[in-house]
Amino acid sequence: MSAQTKTGVPEGGGEAAKNAGGMAAPADRAGEPRDGSRRSGPLAGLMSGSAGHLLGLVIALLLLCLIGLVTAGDRFADFDNMMTILRLASVIGVISVGMTFVITGGGIDLSVGAIVALASVWATTLATQTMGADIHWIVMVTTALLVGAGCGLVNGVLIAYGKMAPFIATLAMLAAARGLAEIISDKKTQVVTERGLVDFFGGEVLGIPVLVIVFALVAAGAWVLLNRTAFGRRTLAVGGNPEAARLAGINVKRHTAILYVLLGVACGIAAVLLLARTTAGTSTHGGLYELEAIAAVVIGGTLLSGGRGTIVGTVFGVLIFTTLTNVFTLNNLDTSTQAVAKGAIIVAAVLLQQRVAARNGTGG
Amino acid sequence: MRRITGRASLRVLTRVGVAVAAVSLAAACTSNTPENEGNDSENNGQANAASSNDDPGETVVIGFSGPEADHGWLAAINSAAEAEAEKYSDIDLRVAEGTNDPSQQISHIETFINEGVDAIVLLPTDGAALTEIATEAMEAGIPVVNVDREFSSEFAARTTILGDNYGMGVSAGTYACGLIEENNLGSDAVVAEIAGIDSLPLTQDRSQGFKDALAACGADVDHRVAAEFTVESGEAVASNLLQAVREIDIIWNHDDDQGIGVKAAFDNANRDEFFFIGGAGSANAMRWIQEGEMEATILYPPTQAADGIRLARLLAQDKGMSDLVQVEVPRRIVLNAPVVNADNVEEYLPLGFES
Amino acid sequence: MRGIVKQFPGVRALDGIDLEVTAGEVHCLLGQNGAGKSTLIKTLSGAHQPDAGQIHWQGEEVRLPNPQAALHHGIATIYQELDLVDGLTVAENIYLGHERTRWGLTARADAATSAAALLHRLGHPEMSPAKEVGRLSAAGKQIVSMARALSHDARLIVMDEPSAVLDQEEVGRLFGVIRELAAQGIAIVYISHRLEEIREIGDRITVLKDGRTVATGLDVADTPTPDIIRLMTGRSIDYVFPERGAVPDPATAPVLEVSGLTRRKEFTDISFAVRPGEIVGLAGLVGSGRSEILETVYGARRASAGTVRVEGRELPPGRVGAAMAAGIGFCPEERKSQALLLHDPVYRNISLASLARFTRRGFLDADGERNAAAEHTRALDVRPTGVERAVNTLSGGNQQKVVLARWLLRGCKVLLLDEPTRGVDVGARSEIYTLIRDLAAQGIAVVMVSSEIEEVIGLADRVLVVSDGRIVSDGPADEIDEHGVLDLVMEGDVA
Repeated sequence: MSAQTKTGVPEGGGEAAKNAGGMAAPADRAGEPRDGSRRSGPLAGLMSGSAGHLLGLVIALLLLCLIGLVTAGDRFADFDNMMTILRLASVIGVISVGMTFVITGGGIDLSVGAIVALASVWATTLATQTMGADIHWIVMVTTALLVGAGCGLVNGVLIAYGKMAPFIATLAMLAAARGLAEIISDKKTQVVTERGLVDFFGGEVLGIPVLVIVFALVAAGAWVLLNRTAFGRRTLAVGGNPEAARLAGINVKRHTAILYVLLGVACGIAAVLLLARTTAGTSTHGGLYELEAIAAVVIGGTLLSGGRGTIVGTVFGVLIFTTLTNVFTLNNLDTSTQAVAKGAIIVAAVLLQQRVAARNGTGG
Repeated sequence: MRRITGRASLRVLTRVGVAVAAVSLAAACTSNTPENEGNDSENNGQANAASSNDDPGETVVIGFSGPEADHGWLAAINSAAEAEAEKYSDIDLRVAEGTNDPSQQISHIETFINEGVDAIVLLPTDGAALTEIATEAMEAGIPVVNVDREFSSEFAARTTILGDNYGMGVSAGTYACGLIEENNLGSDAVVAEIAGIDSLPLTQDRSQGFKDALAACGADVDHRVAAEFTVESGEAVASNLLQAVREIDIIWNHDDDQGIGVKAAFDNANRDEFFFIGGAGSANAMRWIQEGEMEATILYPPTQAADGIRLARLLAQDKGMSDLVQVEVPRRIVLNAPVVNADNVEEYLPLGFES
Repeated sequence: MRGIVKQFPGVRALDGIDLEVTAGEVHCLLGQNGAGKSTLIKTLSGAHQPDAGQIHWQGEEVRLPNPQAALHHGIATIYQELDLVDGLTVAENIYLGHERTRWGLTARADAATSAAALLHRLGHPEMSPAKEVGRLSAAGKQIVSMARALSHDARLIVMDEPSAVLDQEEVGRLFGVIRELAAQGIAIVYISHRLEEIREIGDRITVLKDGRTVATGLDVADTPTPDIIRLMTGRSIDYVFPERGAVPDPATAPVLEVSGLTRRKEFTDISFAVRPGEIVGLAGLVGSGRSEILETVYGARRASAGTVRVEGRELPPGRVGAAMAAGIGFCPEERKSQALLLHDPVYRNISLASLARFTRRGFLDADGERNAAAEHTRALDVRPTGVERAVNTLSGGNQQKVVLARWLLRGCKVLLLDEPTRGVDVGARSEIYTLIRDLAAQGIAVVMVSSEIEEVIGLADRVLVVSDGRIVSDGPADEIDEHGVLDLVMEGDVA
């Protein structure tokens, strides 16, 4: 039977047949299907994730804000409150941005919280603080960054050159770094006596907290790095298909190691921000940060299996969690309810992500 | 076993730091006990100096197991206990590695039972979860001294030493009522509470006591948030709390460790219109009281485990508490939760633990 | 199947397909890549739902909402990318999803016995049901997939290019099995690019083009090959291989010199030299070491002895970066797993090896990338056009062109091609042949590996026959024929 049951394309000769099934894209540049249901070129370039997914995140955040507005009114919409949300988002935000790189590159890091703890403790030991007081508080910042980078390097070398599974290597680091932090601090809370650091990072520029500015700079820098440089492109390649990346001449091992160092440095920055926020370094800092960061990254739309990552999505993921906590507190609701809501959001976001992916997915 | 020896060798590594802290703390405890009327067991121990109780007896092996010292107060508990044991030549103390995992702690106690220690001092990670194994120890003839977090069965411990969590809440609430009265805040005074880990019974007890005491003067808790006993969580919840409530009269924070973060949040937001009351009694908090940065803190003594060690020694040596007519060690000792404020802070400062 | 229509966003993959298969026949499905073969068999296996049309199975209209339903009806599909679990044993893979159980536990012995019976029926009694599938060769895995199909009591088995990964001997054995199955009344839908195979095994032919049926139910015996090619491509192909260019002057200094290259247990003492503009073909069976040789020259594997020189300079062993810097490019055997970022756009796949060139003051010039990629896709006639399109939406031949474009963009003096026409249909093949010829004419030295002996002989200037990890013959391509190579291969195998 040759009757065409449902076809808008006329039965035609050679000409028509050549175009059917294929693309009749007007320009090289386009390449999107005509119905436009997929992401469009320039937008995709900007967002580096699916625009549909990002839209979902924006809607989720707006919805949360709407709930905040309705239930808490001015107290929510207040500028100070917005800054509080951003300030609280800054520490976990910096880590999540770093985590985005590692996950995009096909890895995972469970040790971020422990590295933050160790960096915060190392930066506030009596010796470091004395040196900070003698020279400049920048010594403490440098210490935190170096400790973070060092831990990241150990992770990276074990994973890339030692061929350890990222899960295992960073799990070991999680235990070791927190343990070392406890030994160094003797499990005590080390108060920052060098006010310069707290005043600088705890201060404001044009009404905007320095913490928030640091977070914004880190996020912007990371966006450029991931989307506008060869390094970012290689990260996608290494995460998407390490063998193809290797055969295309990318030094996959070195690149992987660098990704972990980068995240380590992000942990160092986060530790400094945390010092300013809490005025203390302790081995209890950074508890469960690994899970919060991974959750924010995944909700943001970065593929947990690697090869696709979005900084903008991650920032939204972090903001959604922080705003959620804020809205709950403004309404005097307890933490248990909050935890349930967090779980529900993770599930909803991932389901949404899959639906969008399925709709945008390639056929065959 | 291996864990226990591992812990010992780790201690050698950090000996310098621990020793310094322990010595200063131990000195603090002993030198101040005469004035410390609130602390009956300490009084008793000191009074015993005159009796024969402190004289060396037969050597007893005491097993000590507590939660992981991931927190200033717990670290103080552990180091005070170890320091106390070192003061007695007839105590051979076995310290199990601190853990927050009940099943691991159970295996520590099993090890103690197998070793046949003379007494066990146990600060359980979770009272209910450790009840079974503690009962086993008792049945094996080993007296168990239960510290701070109570077992769910009367038969699981020979003696129980408790800080008074409910009493802590009552003290905080009563003190808050006093402030309300003094300052004519009235019954609509805005009272906020920053609790610790919400799922712990001790947190619930503290909150209940606070609420009950406030009710006595017609006030109530208008806003309540829960942190996790960490500096960071304290800062985060306090920041949000300050946004939620623009005018607060009184804030009670359960724990001075997380109080460092809470205080940082206050400073960041430039808010100080309220009376800030703390909990536990860290040295930091006491210094803030001296400087006028904090109104008061409710003491929760970090010497319970040290008292536990002493009592365990008496139990194992079949001695009683010489200040009591009773020849046996009592079943239950509940410590007082006094308020430390500017009036008496000088007196309590040496007892404050460094968080 | 009647009037099957399948619509994907923007693409009408199937546009009215008719296919009728009768019991006991081997029905060949032909068509260029992108003609809709894969989509059609996915519809048949329940993986895709048709947007219109009906499927009749043994006289009744059926719906196949999922692969389980298709299996339930007795329709089993063996995909091109074999869907086996490497970590499980042969028997476990065969009964995956319908495990033999007894009282809720897997009945291992029972499964092993029946698996052995199935393997025996497929003419491979030597395979052990307890062997881990990851350790099997491609041919072995194929057999396991077929055994799995049989374990479902399949009445219709769909095979998607089963011969692509097999050497000739294995293909012969496969055909034996297929004939046996057909004789038992099982219908086979057989998909292949190799027309000569279809002549050998097929009963009837259905030809697809651009998502439509252009001819169905043709009798193989009555349809000459050129007619089939014409149906598939819409044009007549008179020759497959482009004319050879002028043979490079033997006096020219070679650009690539390999000497004494050895990798333990893979190949021994491999030496050859390639001049600019020359195409050297490595012929040999799967497992002879030919692919390993290419990968070692490229530095993707580390040689245990021997040297590789480019323009006289020795390359450090095991360093891909150094090989690339010296001007070597490499198109690996497994395009999808070794060369492409499947979900990434075409232009990113092309620029991957040349990112440094598009970096301006630390930033990537994405427009520059797109333009350069567009230039090369135009030159290589990659279809459909559009460099933003994800590369996995292209057919095999066009994907191969994208990989070639990567190296043309980077510019290289030596191009190593491992199975450049694997999974590429006839029309696109000759385009790729012409391309390779053109590259050689531009002075690039080409080393290619192919399982198809006629391809090596037809395209290369010089043929090296590899057998058992050694070069057993080295001579001009026009002095050797298919039988000669086969003899050498066999001889080497025996020795």
